[in-house]
Parts: sequence; structure tokens; C-alpha cells
Amino acid sequence: MRTKKLTACGLLTAVALALSYLENFFPLALAIPIPGIKLGLANIVTVFALYAMGAGPAFLVLAARCLLGAVFAGNMNALLFSLLGGFSAMLVMTALSRLRGLSLYGVSIGGAAAHSCGQIAAALLTLGSTAPMYYLPVLLAVSLFTGSLTGLVSACLFRGLVHVDLWKG
Amino acid sequence: MNMKRRPKLRPAAWDGAVVGLVLALAVGCGVLLRGNGGSGEMAVVSINGEEVDRFSLAESAGKREYLANGYVLVVAVSSEGVRVAEAGCPTQDCVHTGVISRSGQSIVCLPGRFILRLAGGTERGNGPDVDAVIG
Ligand SMILES: [Zn+2]
Repeated sequence: MRTKKLTACGLLTAVALALSYLENFFPLALAIPIPGIKLGLANIVTVFALYAMGAGPAFLVLAARCLLGAVFAGNMNALLFSLLGGFSAMLVMTALSRLRGLSLYGVSIGGAAAHSCGQIAAALLTLGSTAPMYYLPVLLAVSLFTGSLTGLVSACLFRGLVHVDLWKG
Repeated sequence: MNMKRRPKLRPAAWDGAVVGLVLALAVGCGVLLRGNGGSGEMAVVSINGEEVDRFSLAESAGKREYLANGYVLVVAVSSEGVRVAEAGCPTQDCVHTGVISRSGQSIVCLPGRFILRLAGGTERGNGPDVDAVIG
């Protein structure tokens, strides 16, 4: 049981890193020219881990993804962006997932919006200027789409896994 | 699948409330921060959070150089607007941003902690601009 969960955390971290890498190919910089700001596709992993394993393991996977991501990219400037973005999203989604009225879509959209705010906060802190705030409205609008996508993908995952007992054996 | 929490897989009515909240936040921030969206007439350059230069685009055609944390950035001003023409930074994101011309837009060089922001013509050095309130 313990080993299985640890293995699952490792796998999820790898998937999150792959998603973080994948989003480099999305030309977000055309709309928001602040280096370090990402779409937040790796939030799919946070949503999955949050529901499947709980907040603790989801937190570990997130921390590992942020640290390893910065090491692999050789870019410590980006660490603050992924930490503030990722943890804001995680906190908001943990809170929203307790509300019975919300589906995966509402939780994911709230998380994506928090991810945007966290990253803008990282830009404010890094640059010591409020200029990045100008891009918050666009980034929030984009997060409606990213959040819906995250909700859709995680709903498909859970639907597909409905008959699989992950932690058995 | 045994889960820690069982998620709702279909969109629910209350999801609309989250969407509404995010939209309201986007529009609210837009109204507060984007100003008139007019043409940017003043360029404000900051390095490490300190304003180091401020110039009018109309009167400053040509090139200017800045040293930002060890990287040289060459800023080119033309009738189309302003861009970072050359930079010694490793990522080159600032160069790839290209020309900006509207009030509120900015060019960021993260390795150099360099930011060039365009402000409207009415915005004065020590006026009630957002930098003065928060920064
Ligand atoms: Zn640069």
C-alpha cells in the first residue's frame, strides 16, 4: 500500500513535469510577454492527486514538480513563478473541493484563476514593479479556458478509472 | 476506484458562480488597471525595482543602452513604438517580445530584472500611478 502510493507520487511528478514542458510550445507569450508565466496544464496532476490521494500527497507531487522543473530548465528565476502559481492553485482547489455544489470544472477553473494570480504575484515580487498587473485580466480570461480543459481532462480520467481499484493488491 | 474524495464529473450549476467570479475579477482588474488603453507616450524603465529612466517616445527616436544585472540591453525607439533590439541575457524573451506601443504594455527581461513599461501621456512622475500606491 505504502510503496504503491509512493510509486504513484513519482509517476504523477513525471507526468506533471512532462505537461510543464509541453506548455512551452503554446505561444502564450504573444498575449502575455512576461517570461516565467505558464498556462498551468500541470494543474491536471494536482486535481487528480487531490481527489485520488488527498491533499498531502498532492502537495508533495507539486513541490517535487516545481523543484525538479526549475533544476531541469536550469532557470531558478522561474522557480518562484511555479511555486506561487502552483501552491495558490492547490490551496484554492483544496478549499473549493470541499464545496458540494461544485464539480471538477468549477474546482479546476478556480484553481486556474488562482494559478494566474500567484504567477502575477511572482512577477511583481521578482521585478519589484506593478507593471505585470496590466496582464492579469488577460491571464484570468485565459484561465477560464485552461481551467475548463483541466476539468475536462480530469473528469475523463476519473470516468476511465471508475472500475480500477488503484490501491488494491 | 477508491478515492479520497468523490468528485462530481459533470458541470454543476454552482460552477457558473466560479466562472462569474473569475470574470468579475478580470473585468474589475481590467477597469482598474488598464487605464484608457490609449497610445503609450512615456516609457518608464526599471531595473531591480528601481526606476532608472523615463523618456517620451516622440522625442527619443534612436537607441538607448542599459546595464541590467550584468546584461546589456539595447532599447530602440521608433515611430511604431519601442522594443528591445539586442540583449546579452541568456533567454532573449525580452527581444522576442517585439514592439510595444500601447499604454500599460511592458517588456520584461527576467535575468536582468529589467522592465520597460509604457504609460499614457498624462501620467506624471510622482502622480497617482499604481507604482506609487503599491510599490
Ligand atoms: Zn532579456
